[in-house]
Amino acid sequence: MADEQKEAKPKKRMTATQAAASIGPMVKEFITGTLRARAEGKQKIAYTFIVCHHEEIFRAMDVVPVWTENFAGICGAKRDAERFLQRAESLGLSRSLCTYALCGIGFDQWREELGQMPPDAPWGGQARPDMMISSGQILCDPRSKWYQASQQFMPDVPIYNIDLPHPLFQRDQDHREVWGYYHKYIVKQLRGLVAFLEEQTKKKMDYDRLRELVNLSDRTWSLIEETYDLRKAVPCPMGTGDAMNTMVPINFMMATQQAYDFFVNLKKELEEKIAKGEGEVEKEKYRLMWGGGLPAWFALTDFNYFNSKGASFPVETTYRMVAPLNQMNLPETKDPIEHLAWRWLGYWTLWFDKAKKRPGSEPDVERLINRIEEYKIDGVVMHEAFSCRTWHVGLIWQLNQLAKIYKPISVYVVGRDGKKEKVYRELPSLILESDIIDITSYSEVDTRNKIDAFIETLESNRLNKAA
Amino acid sequence: MTSYFAGIDVGSTITKAVILDKGIVASVIGPTGPEQRRLANRVMEEALNRATLSFQAITYIVSTGYGRINVPFADKQFTEITCHAKGIRNLFPKAKTIIDIGGQDIKAIRIDAAGKIIDFVMNDKCAAGSGRFIEVIADAVGVPLDKVGGLSLQSKNPAKISNICTIWAQQEVAASLAQGVPVSDLLAGVHHSLADRICRLVNRLKVEEEIVVTGGGAKNKGLLKALSDQLGNEIRVPEDPLITGALGAALLGKEIVEKAKENHTPLKIKERILEQIEIL
Repeated sequence: MADEQKEAKPKKRMTATQAAASIGPMVKEFITGTLRARAEGKQKIAYTFIVCHHEEIFRAMDVVPVWTENFAGICGAKRDAERFLQRAESLGLSRSLCTYALCGIGFDQWREELGQMPPDAPWGGQARPDMMISSGQILCDPRSKWYQASQQFMPDVPIYNIDLPHPLFQRDQDHREVWGYYHKYIVKQLRGLVAFLEEQTKKKMDYDRLRELVNLSDRTWSLIEETYDLRKAVPCPMGTGDAMNTMVPINFMMATQQAYDFFVNLKKELEEKIAKGEGEVEKEKYRLMWGGGLPAWFALTDFNYFNSKGASFPVETTYRMVAPLNQMNLPETKDPIEHLAWRWLGYWTLWFDKAKKRPGSEPDVERLINRIEEYKIDGVVMHEAFSCRTWHVGLIWQLNQLAKIYKPISVYVVGRDGKKEKVYRELPSLILESDIIDITSYSEVDTRNKIDAFIETLESNRLNKAA
Repeated sequence: MTSYFAGIDVGSTITKAVILDKGIVASVIGPTGPEQRRLANRVMEEALNRATLSFQAITYIVSTGYGRINVPFADKQFTEITCHAKGIRNLFPKAKTIIDIGGQDIKAIRIDAAGKIIDFVMNDKCAAGSGRFIEVIADAVGVPLDKVGGLSLQSKNPAKISNICTIWAQQEVAASLAQGVPVSDLLAGVHHSLADRICRLVNRLKVEEEIVVTGGGAKNKGLLKALSDQLGNEIRVPEDPLITGALGAALLGKEIVEKAKENHTPLKIKERILEQIEIL
């Protein structure tokens, strides 16, 4: 069996906002809450994944979700994933598979083998589920396989798979021509989930409660948009480092009053910071966008390193899993399940129309361009996590396409004929390479050397623009 | 009175120093050991001896390379990306793409007509594609490092080396040697494999001519030929490719001093003491 030594504790990342600093205890509490629920046995517990638009259904049925990606991320952030990854490897699974899945499978196997939590399990460990709700959506294929692998160690735990597709971008087609079919299919999937949960919990869905929770989520979506829009301020009051904390209520606590209240408080805090002219960094020199890729959870202090160079991150595309509902033109419906399905389709097709208007653009690229302009961005940083192929395979293409169709930096250069000429440059970009939780893929020295070089490039642009 | 500027590039395997006034006054190349700080002192001392200058005569010192923070007497640090761009631009005013093949890594840099960096890529963590790869293979076939490039050019039938991992490629070479594959063919195959890996990295940038290759890898004619063939472009090489980073560092120091004079701003300069520092 693999060496099951724990790694050294990571350094704590400094947060710019009190709200972000409050996230750690909040996550700890909901992990502990799942363990309490397991011990009490009054509520059913379900393993599941984020970005499935099904939180409202869980909460309306009083089912406790255990976000397995979240637990793997916690293991990574605590630099305590390696022993679970090694477990999974010793089961014959390759390290090049999704390391979230490997960590979860390794943990499950160990817990089931012991009949109790593995020693010193992060924050008490991941509770044994009563059911597993997987999702074979096009976003991430391991999500429909992970629980099948875990079921080997928990043959008594049933799996229900929901499929949540959305139309792909076609420049010469209007997605609205087909989204009715998609909607019908997604509604069936969600109704199937309701039926499965009713069977498992022996309870009937309370549709009035579900309607209230969907309404609460919608209001939370709008509030998050308003809150994150405040980050357009110069200097930026909150960066991506903090947003990797505040993603918790967005992705793991949706359809709860706690998530809504969290953003009420965060919005207030940001407004106060803006009024006082307080930025994420003391002297903001560069405004960067985290343009894609899940973060290296064990190396979040790299955001502090960027900050130490005067670089702030006013915006990111990662984990901003909400969008302005008023821009989606969603068909009206009183059925909460139908609304969830429309909202899903509205979210994934939001950038389609805009992308069609710009030659060479695509929705993901269009989103980058819009964010660059709205947030006055000087450079783009992405992270390629080797084990997350579904999410990361298109990142370099997005950057190349961005550089090809979007050159916002005008500078004067002396041409070969000795005359000054105006040229347009693309935005500088940096690709960091490691993994979400596999620390063996990461080198702090190399990463920071890259960051230093990127900062020098930004500085060169800044001086050129000033000149 | 003449002003002198020093650049010191503490790379992963070699430490380089350049002293400059209007041109290069002295340059020194020495191995980087684990005691980088002490070695930086020694290399600097040697450069001063060659230039017959006292340490106090140096107006400004810039350090670069992986060990740049381990040069206690440097007035400022820049990354090797910026320094190579500056150094190469000085030597090749039309350069647009720079490929630095170092001991442990490769960097590709794209610069614009003004010599400013537009974009860069670096490999990291893995030595495949770097100078270390060639060192390991040279050792495996028993050929001195400086003969590897020339010998590979004699090949008429380059071997296929499919592994990009340095350790596995070493095993593959050993197996091919056992099967009687000529050393020149093996080395040519290794250079093709290496050039392939370098191209994969470089092609992430928009490669434009002139292309200049620098670093230790630029001293290997076999690798340059393979790289030029695969890129489909002519490649330029500095006379002394090892010192371009240090040269760039010295040039950046010169710029800083000139700018400070122009703006009448004071310069922050370290005390000129070349003391030996133990770090182990």
